[in-house]
Amino acid sequence: MSDLAIRWFAPLELRILSGMSFLSCALLSVVLLFDYFRGDYDSMSIHGVGLMALTVMILTAIDFTEEGRTRRRDMGLMASGITLGCGVIGLAIRGAEYLLVDLWAGLVLLIPGLSGLYLLSTPLVSRWVGSTIERVEAEDGLVRNRLLLPKWQAALKHVVLLHVVAVVMIPVLWIIDVAISPGDALQGGAMFSSPTGEHFSNILGGDNFWVWARNSVIVSIGTTLLGLCLAIPAGYAFSRYRFKGRGAMMFTFLLVQMFPGIIILVPYFMVMKSLGLLNTAIGLILAYSVTALPLCVWMLKGFFDTVPKELEEAALLDGCSQFGVFYRIILPLSLPAVAVTGLFSFLVAWNEFLLALTFNTSDDMFTLPVGLASYISATDSAWGDFAAMSLLVAIPVVLLFIVFQKFLIEGLTAGSVKG
Amino acid sequence: MRRGIFLIAVMPLIVALLAMPVVQATAVSKVEASGESSSYRNVNLTWELASPAEDGDGFHIMFSESSFSHTGNATIHSTVFTASTDGMVQPAVGEWYDDCQSSSGDDDWAMVFRSENGSAVVPPGTVAIRCDLTGMPVGAEVFLAILPFDSHWISGELSEVVGATSTAVDELPPSADTRPVWFAIGSIALSLVVLLAVLGWKERSAQGRSAMLYVAPALMALALLTFYPVGYGIVLSFTDANQSALGEQSFNGLDNYVEVFTSAGFLRVLGFTLLWTVVNVFAHVGIGLALAMALQGRVKGKVAYRTILLLPWAIPSYITVLIWRGIFQYDGLFNGLLGTQIDILGLPVPAAAAVIVVNIWLGFPFMMMTISGALQTLPGDIYEAAEVDGVSPISQFRHLTLPMLKPAIVPVALLGFIWTFNMFNVIYLMTDGGPNLWFGEPGSTDILITYVYDVAFRRGMYGLAAAWSVVIFLILLWFSATYMKKTNATEAVV
Repeated sequence: MSDLAIRWFAPLELRILSGMSFLSCALLSVVLLFDYFRGDYDSMSIHGVGLMALTVMILTAIDFTEEGRTRRRDMGLMASGITLGCGVIGLAIRGAEYLLVDLWAGLVLLIPGLSGLYLLSTPLVSRWVGSTIERVEAEDGLVRNRLLLPKWQAALKHVVLLHVVAVVMIPVLWIIDVAISPGDALQGGAMFSSPTGEHFSNILGGDNFWVWARNSVIVSIGTTLLGLCLAIPAGYAFSRYRFKGRGAMMFTFLLVQMFPGIIILVPYFMVMKSLGLLNTAIGLILAYSVTALPLCVWMLKGFFDTVPKELEEAALLDGCSQFGVFYRIILPLSLPAVAVTGLFSFLVAWNEFLLALTFNTSDDMFTLPVGLASYISATDSAWGDFAAMSLLVAIPVVLLFIVFQKFLIEGLTAGSVKG
Repeated sequence: MRRGIFLIAVMPLIVALLAMPVVQATAVSKVEASGESSSYRNVNLTWELASPAEDGDGFHIMFSESSFSHTGNATIHSTVFTASTDGMVQPAVGEWYDDCQSSSGDDDWAMVFRSENGSAVVPPGTVAIRCDLTGMPVGAEVFLAILPFDSHWISGELSEVVGATSTAVDELPPSADTRPVWFAIGSIALSLVVLLAVLGWKERSAQGRSAMLYVAPALMALALLTFYPVGYGIVLSFTDANQSALGEQSFNGLDNYVEVFTSAGFLRVLGFTLLWTVVNVFAHVGIGLALAMALQGRVKGKVAYRTILLLPWAIPSYITVLIWRGIFQYDGLFNGLLGTQIDILGLPVPAAAAVIVVNIWLGFPFMMMTISGALQTLPGDIYEAAEVDGVSPISQFRHLTLPMLKPAIVPVALLGFIWTFNMFNVIYLMTDGGPNLWFGEPGSTDILITYVYDVAFRRGMYGLAAAWSVVIFLILLWFSATYMKKTNATEAVV
């Protein structure tokens, strides 16, 4: 046993097994939670036994010391058997009425159980357990570990990621399902059997959607234009000029971003009410353009910083005025950045809910968010129409977001990390 | 012979059973409705009973917009129970959305009692009940009837259906004096112009002067539309401003603050808000960190994963929250997938868990993207060195990755804290603060901001709501300052 290769070597199978069991343990906790919700205490105890067996499997598989390998291997095999058994019994208990979640819970136990039985009884593991492994074999094994381990780790990673993807996608798939199912059934289920376009024709054929969409478009475009008119000069000044009060002003813009909206909401409402701006587009435009202003100023300042100063100096030497430099040189060069900032304030206005809910209370002045929410009330919910409309509203926004995600996230995170 | 004995023995029992009075719902003898004398959107309904109500009797007030002859075509507007009223509260007129009064004879009307869960209760012996029913359409006839039921919930005979039209028109209060607002806005604008002019005049270079000009519009907008309302809000919090007396508020000192801190729900809302915020922020950072690490380096299908995992952030939050509300309905997808029958949004603890889960779902992509951006800036050679020295992946994460990520995570976590603390959409659209939502008190899942919304726009108490807002702001300010001091994040932030 003096050979280093033999001392260092531990079969890949054990690593795979411990990783797999660990993942199964995590998933099994969720299964146990579901059992508890269902009040299904038989399944819960079976799954509890499975969880214990998996823990034993992990404990036996992560210990590579030479003493007691045989005992640990045997315990591991036994635990695999118990896990497998729990999986089978768990499935049998549910009887004939399987739900998707039952099959999933079964797989969570069956896969590590079967893999444990197979992996722990491979010839290589057996020889390693019996300490009869050859030096050459151990060296090969180390190479094999190095080559294959990352692949197995990646595979486990994919399993985890796929679970997260499932949790993310379930609501999305469900809303598509409800939108194309007839009636207001909350279970949907007609995605493949009898899809219908009735909800879409309800929405597109009715007046509400177009009125609210028009309000939203007016408010969002107004916000974008006003916001840019305010933010571009300020961003430019902060980027290019050094003047008294610059630091203080920039800090003010950061500070405002930290203000919680609620402290402004009530007084905002009272001011808007006094000025007669409730139930108008102008009230919302004013409010939104200021909400997005600080972040826009910071985003634009960052972009202007990347435009080389030499260009301006050359233009100034050639007799261009200060304003001319800004208007003819800087603005055209940073047009993409301005567009992204504009898109950002557009999205802020398009998605805002609280102020729109508070300011515009008559239903011909609703914006899309408030209008959409009005489809769902405590007593009477038109889920089918709601689903169709939310798809119509969300799809363009999501596409815009995904196409421009790099710029939006850069700008947002830059703004947020700095402030 | 034996059968005869048996019959004789059983006979008294049968007779007794037959002679036992069948419990019956108290019949309604007379129903009257009127919409003329009541207030906006209200209809008065009075009904008299054929015999004094007994313990356990109850009355559903059925309501429909078209005339009806059986209960299937009408909905229940309110329900009044008969029971012993010991230990129940007797609210004053206007505290409940449907005011009822009961009489035990001789026109001695008394307000109904309210049980712990808010049901209207009248004492046994009541002979007449009258209710002021809200939510009726104005100018259109509505139809009302009483459906009595007994202590076993067995319905009696539907009373006569009566119609009534609510005619009262809401009188708009005279428009408030807007001069103070204009005056404030004007003076702020003027003083800013003066300030900028002075600064520009003191500035020597022409550049500085034009800079003032460039910054002026943004600064002006900020002052008028952010700082002025904030200042106005603070002033408002010391007044008794409310819905019915807008513009005529007078200062009432610290009354609002006293009411905030002594209100029954204050500690409960604060507690749930803290739980909500802390659980969410930890989950966001934890899940975001885990996913960012998982997507670090070369992963097959990375772009697809990232795009899908971005969806909760990309889809407007009001849409996803409403989708989740549908999933958690009693007949929704959650119960369907699990084969359970839990009324998730109707029970306090499941509802709280549901709103937290939904907000975690909504918020993790932002953390994932910021952390993954920060991960890309970490130097790779340190990890190579650690690898050579045989540092295990777990230790690498603990002693290399986490400390190097700290400057990026600390400010984002603070931002996440403030955002979550003020996350209005999720609670408002999922549960509206319910269940257990009684008038004037926070519900089981109300957080501070949704409760302030209720105080301001459901109860119309602007001054009180402003005081709540100021308290929230101070809590956040105190937390941010402490947090920055503890984590030394100031350098990273400024």
